[in-house]
Amino acid sequence: MSATPSTSILSQVDGSAQLLLGPIKVLASVTGPIEAKARQELPTLASLEIIVRPATGVSSTREKLLEDKLRSLLQSIIVRHKYPRQLIQVVIQFLSSDSDHSANAKAFTSNELNAAINCVYFALIDANIALFSSFASVSLCILPSSDSFILNPTIAQLNESESHHVICFDIKDKQADKILLVESQGSFSEKQFYLAIDEASKECETIHNKYQRHCIVEKIREDFVWKF
Amino acid sequence: MGKDIDISTNQEHFVREALKLGIRTDGRSLLESRKPIISLSPDLYGFVEIEWGLTKLAVRISAEILQPYEDRPFEGLFTINTEISPMASPHFENGKNTDDEVLISRLIEKAIRRSNALDLESLCIVAGSKVWSIRADIHFLNFDGGLIDSACLGVMTALQHFKKPDISVNGEDIIIHSLDERQPVALSILHVPICVSFSFFNPGAVEENIKGDLNEEISIIDCTQQEELLRDGTLVITINKNRELIQISKSGGLPIDATMLMDLSSRALLIAEELTDMVKDLLKKDEQERYKKLNLKMLQAENSR
Amino acid sequence: MELYSPEGLRIDGRRWNELRKFECRINTHPNSSDGSSFIEQGNTKVICMVQGPMEPVLRSQSNPNQANIEISITIANFSTTERKKRLKNEKRLVELKATLERTFEQSVMCKLYPRTVIQVNIHVLAQDGGLLAGITNAITLGLIDAGIAMYDYVSSISAGLYDTTPLLDLNTLEENDMSTLTIGVIGKSEKLALLLLEDKMPLDRLESVLAIGIAGGHRIRDLMDEEVRRHGNLRLSKVNV
Repeated sequence: MSATPSTSILSQVDGSAQLLLGPIKVLASVTGPIEAKARQELPTLASLEIIVRPATGVSSTREKLLEDKLRSLLQSIIVRHKYPRQLIQVVIQFLSSDSDHSANAKAFTSNELNAAINCVYFALIDANIALFSSFASVSLCILPSSDSFILNPTIAQLNESESHHVICFDIKDKQADKILLVESQGSFSEKQFYLAIDEASKECETIHNKYQRHCIVEKIREDFVWKF
Repeated sequence: MGKDIDISTNQEHFVREALKLGIRTDGRSLLESRKPIISLSPDLYGFVEIEWGLTKLAVRISAEILQPYEDRPFEGLFTINTEISPMASPHFENGKNTDDEVLISRLIEKAIRRSNALDLESLCIVAGSKVWSIRADIHFLNFDGGLIDSACLGVMTALQHFKKPDISVNGEDIIIHSLDERQPVALSILHVPICVSFSFFNPGAVEENIKGDLNEEISIIDCTQQEELLRDGTLVITINKNRELIQISKSGGLPIDATMLMDLSSRALLIAEELTDMVKDLLKKDEQERYKKLNLKMLQAENSR
Repeated sequence: MELYSPEGLRIDGRRWNELRKFECRINTHPNSSDGSSFIEQGNTKVICMVQGPMEPVLRSQSNPNQANIEISITIANFSTTERKKRLKNEKRLVELKATLERTFEQSVMCKLYPRTVIQVNIHVLAQDGGLLAGITNAITLGLIDAGIAMYDYVSSISAGLYDTTPLLDLNTLEENDMSTLTIGVIGKSEKLALLLLEDKMPLDRLESVLAIGIAGGHRIRDLMDEEVRRHGNLRLSKVNV
């Protein structure tokens, strides 16, 4: 990640964060726990409403797919039984993206998924939603005829690459622990894949220690200003 | 935070009594607008972010080549997307068009599209088969009143800021030149409409408003969310610098006197002049920055002889 | 085609400040509704039927402080020369509906009928300019016929600007070629409940267009008042017998 996030930028929602990752500018907001509509309500758990909106045009299947990926991730990370019969609303708004001008804008790029996951984390922290653990994700690609990885590839590198991966780890005690999500495309060997996971776990820890820790510490200091 | 926004009776009385004394809760005078902060994207064309008090929005303009409508072969396409997501405020539901949202999108449509602010005929490439389609996506990020005013300003700024890639036509074939290859071309904007929203409060009884001659109705410019929830009526005037009224919409609400309307429209003109000039200055500065960055001295018709 | 001749005549032979034939009837459907009216403004024809105040069907329609006015507009496919199918949730119609609801919320004494709904059904049979004005006048008469308490008449009329001459009560041909301002006036005052301008008009001409609009609105109010009184006297004469 190249830029630090800015949090608490919107006043009408409970938590918000903006992230700049190269050409991608993404904004996430979290509202909740709030009252759920009857059809959304789950008797023992909080229900999640996840909305992804593209930078240009109306949302399509592409955004729905991103929503589903995020939902499966967030369902396992938010302490949902803490908020029974309530709703947590997550909106991801892309403001600019690297897939705008490419001909193949039908599918989301792995960079977009990566940006959305990392941005949602800061918004969830900002909204004080209970999480089982921290999480961070990495986007990387393997170029043809080489074993080295490129972290945060550009759209040109992605198009050239043999395979590209988005890997998301949960983080406990400042250590990358379990894999939460892997999105891989292209052809790659088992060895390459394990190497990619190793690389990703290291990078996730860096992200956590460099950006996420700082954000949490700041947040606690502000929330408990009366105590310090 | 709950989904419904309700204002307590105490708060309502407080705001109303203050207005009667000519005071607003955020310290502005009655006919004082919030100052918008406009930021233009330094690298993307047609990407504008606006902060209007706490109201925040981003506008993206995009262009692609499409086939025109059959009955209008010489005209390009122009669409404005005004969908409001729950990010702006939890009381907006996703994908559900409430009456308020429809009114907002209709007003912006009328102010910009219907008034021909963008010259559609200049977007024609090959009559009947290929035209530019321009799309404006308005992303409402935070809501604190004044959505119409800020969205209109945002779209107009973005349209003036946007540049579409240059093309060359070779019979039926069209070559789109990338931004590095050729300088992109700005859109042809015919005039700059500015929306000004007024809100009305009735300080006395309803009977006095309808039957009386006092004309004591209070009108304020640029409401916050709180004032928007309490107001008794609203009026949107769209006007441009050339003293042309583009649209007036007072959809019901508190009846107001005709002389007051004349007053308010000349006030709207002042605001429109101020905002148009502000945007113009901003765009000029942005242009200069870009030229500096590109080091485009050779394009100048200057001679050192 | 000349919309306004040098002799000062319009396309249908009217002068600049002349209204089209305005015909109205109230209590046209005494059995099927609580209040009903039919108006003809030139060739624009609108039927209005009012039901209520009555118990709302849905709990969500009930407001403990005041009556809820619900307006539904049906525009007949044969109302224009070009036969056209119209969707009910077209944005233009939603806007029209919201505009009318908000107008009548202020002029009807809604506070007198808490927890009720007033259902207004509009049928547009023929269109020849001044649609919003025609519907507004029809609703006013319908509400009066239903015996719903109002502060005053809401009378509405359109006015346009041809070059520098303001013209009153435009028909379709005129409406297509010049900017139209529709206003709704409260009673005999100069208070405006409704105001709609959708095309460009020079700011300096607004005053003259408004002035003739207001005058036209007052004239419409008188014509509607005549009909209401005529109908009232008719009923009264039946009671006495």
